[in-house]
Amino acid sequence: MRNKKTIFLGDSDQQGREKAVYEALAAAVKAESLDAAVQLVRVAETGKAGQGVVVRILPENIDYVQVKPADAGRIIGESVKKNKKLEDLTPPAKVRQIKIVLRNCGRIDPERIEDYIAGEGYQALKRVLSERTREEWINEMKLSGLRGRGGGGFPTWMKWNFAYRMDSAEKYVICNGDEGDPGAYMDRSVLEGDPHAVVEGMMIAGYLVGAQKGIFYIRAEYPLAIKRIQIAIDQARSYGLLGERILGGDFSFDLQIRLGAGAFVCGEETALIASIEGKRGCPKPRPPYPTVSGLWGKPTVINNVETLANVAQIILRGGAWFAGIGSPSAKGTKVFALTGKVKRSGLIEVPMGITLRQIVFEIGGGVLKDKRIKAVQTGGPSGGVIPEHLLDTPVDYENLQKLGSIMGSGGMIVMDEDDCMVDISKFYLGFCVDESCGKCAPCRIGGVQMLGYLRRISEGKASMEDVDKMERICAAVQRASLCGLGQTAPNPVLSTLKYFRREYVEHIKERRCGAKKCASLLRFTIIQEACKRCGMCLRACPVAAITRSAANVYTIDPAVCVKCGKCYETCKFAAIKQE
Amino acid sequence: MNTQKLTAASLDQLAADCAAKVPKNLIRVGMSTCGIAAGAEAVLATLRRNVAARGLKIAVEQCGCAGMCYAEPLVEVAVEGMPTVTYGRVTPQIAGEIIEQHVERKLFVQDYIYTVKVDDEK
Ligand SMILES: Cc1cc2nc3c(=O)[nH]c(=O)nc-3n(C[C@H](O)[C@H](O)[C@H](O)COP(=O)(O)O)c2cc1C
Ligand code: SF4
Ligand code: SF4
Repeated sequence: MRNKKTIFLGDSDQQGREKAVYEALAAAVKAESLDAAVQLVRVAETGKAGQGVVVRILPENIDYVQVKPADAGRIIGESVKKNKKLEDLTPPAKVRQIKIVLRNCGRIDPERIEDYIAGEGYQALKRVLSERTREEWINEMKLSGLRGRGGGGFPTWMKWNFAYRMDSAEKYVICNGDEGDPGAYMDRSVLEGDPHAVVEGMMIAGYLVGAQKGIFYIRAEYPLAIKRIQIAIDQARSYGLLGERILGGDFSFDLQIRLGAGAFVCGEETALIASIEGKRGCPKPRPPYPTVSGLWGKPTVINNVETLANVAQIILRGGAWFAGIGSPSAKGTKVFALTGKVKRSGLIEVPMGITLRQIVFEIGGGVLKDKRIKAVQTGGPSGGVIPEHLLDTPVDYENLQKLGSIMGSGGMIVMDEDDCMVDISKFYLGFCVDESCGKCAPCRIGGVQMLGYLRRISEGKASMEDVDKMERICAAVQRASLCGLGQTAPNPVLSTLKYFRREYVEHIKERRCGAKKCASLLRFTIIQEACKRCGMCLRACPVAAITRSAANVYTIDPAVCVKCGKCYETCKFAAIKQE
Repeated sequence: MNTQKLTAASLDQLAADCAAKVPKNLIRVGMSTCGIAAGAEAVLATLRRNVAARGLKIAVEQCGCAGMCYAEPLVEVAVEGMPTVTYGRVTPQIAGEIIEQHVERKLFVQDYIYTVKVDDEK
């Protein structure tokens, strides 16, 4: 069993081509009488895309791509037997995920502090408490270039430095685990998968700014995250990592959890603080910023879950290490929840500065069913769409903003030709209108008006003039709203208008929805030549819009039809036309 | 639960002790919201039952989400002397095969591996 080699092979495009290569390799192994020394293993997934059949040989860790059955003899005879690397099959260097925030997720038992401690856990805290001054550590954070991952991208060291410089006996740190964006679950996964990393980040932030208390604000819809953070806090306390005189020094600090009731606006920092204080979760004008006057009027640092999960690693490996990853204006990595029409959906952690195209095609494996990609949505309801021709843009805060979207907290949705841009902006704007707290007029009233225009467009009842009016309202809402929710709510509308104006025009002038998403614009008719008079559609229709004449001819009354599509799905003979 | 209060020195000692205790033979099942939704609980139960019934020397633990939500339930298997791999879309039946083939006979189960761990990709 000692020097046994394993050859893993799989089809990077999931077309089943590994089977033929497997047979050829098996024959070659047999021919060389290596049966006992080599196991061939077909894998379900290779982590690569567009590279044909991929082979990995362990323990040597050799990768080959675009492998054909004809290469089997050489792979076994030369590479495996004589350790001669086959250059023509060796892949060029590829983009890789880098795991800093997700380093422990899926690797340790999140409910055991001992697992975390075994892998350098709480070593960063120890170093912060015992080596160097607070100023020096804050400077290390500055060197790292870490910026907030909650959406705004504010430099973390600067926030900490403001709070540190405030002269106050009482200060707070808050972890923002509200994560309200539809489609986003990065923070939930970190809280669930590596709770101690966030706890340690909170403790370091607390020590450096001079706080004695920290609060986890987590939405109540995340019961498992809440449970695991509570376990982490209890375990840390039992080891004396929280409480009085931590690690035998003179730092005392404790943590507690507050639950959010699931209002999107409560993720905004001033609303979040109001919510903890037991008030209505409405934003307040800034300044004063929370670092000056936050929770209970005391200096308060609010950071996002992912921001905090980076902290211990920066302390341990140094600011320069972190700054060496990423792009000139954005350092480190970003976790995205990659969803929508992408083959491999899930959480990814990639270096800043990677392009959207690399994310979708090299990491996400491309578009589902190999359809044409239309756009990528980032930033959730505060963001926008980035069309196909701009997918080579490197991802960072400023670049995405220039394109009319935002980095946001990390939702990333891939859209194909079946997605309607009017429908999408209606969805996101509808979300913001529902979630608006109603405190200021531009967001409260403007949002409803914009949504009204979008509805009319999607129903084919709008004119081009309405688009102009809608754009003017968008501009006003962006400028005059009190908080980020209102200020960014028009982004999905404006960015779809910017890149996909012709889809709006098509809805208005031709009363047509190319993606067939806007139900009101659909028309269902029966193709008489194809109709077999089976009567299935008549039974399927929930509103009796289909009638049968004395001559046994079926017709749909458009005035009664509610465009549910039931008849279209039911007909076995494709005799119903949807247009 | 532990009541030892750590100092800087005893933290290092604990870290060394814990690292030494990490089992060489280990199965980990992703038990985050996504894993549980995909049926990880039944898989975990099957693995535990089989390991106990056959008296195998391998620990079975839960862990968080590794990011490949499309392939849940995920099961990582580390057996001494073999590369560590992660199986995906594991059903209780595949879980049984993992025990029989991978753990007992030291042969990887075909067609269900999603990642193969190599040293530089910690
Ligand atoms: C409407 C709205 C919702 C927000 N939701 C969140 C959220 O769910 N999580 C989060 O970390 N930040 C959220 N933010 C940003 C916070 O106000 C704040 O900037 C952030 O928590 C600061 O942490 P960071 O500097 O580490 O990014 C939201 C902002 C707005 C305007
Ligand atoms: S912009 Fe909207 S959510 Fe923000 S304060 Fe005004 S009404 Fe409330
Ligand atoms: S689309 Fe629905 S409502 Fe319209 S005819 Fe077909 S089944 Fe009836």
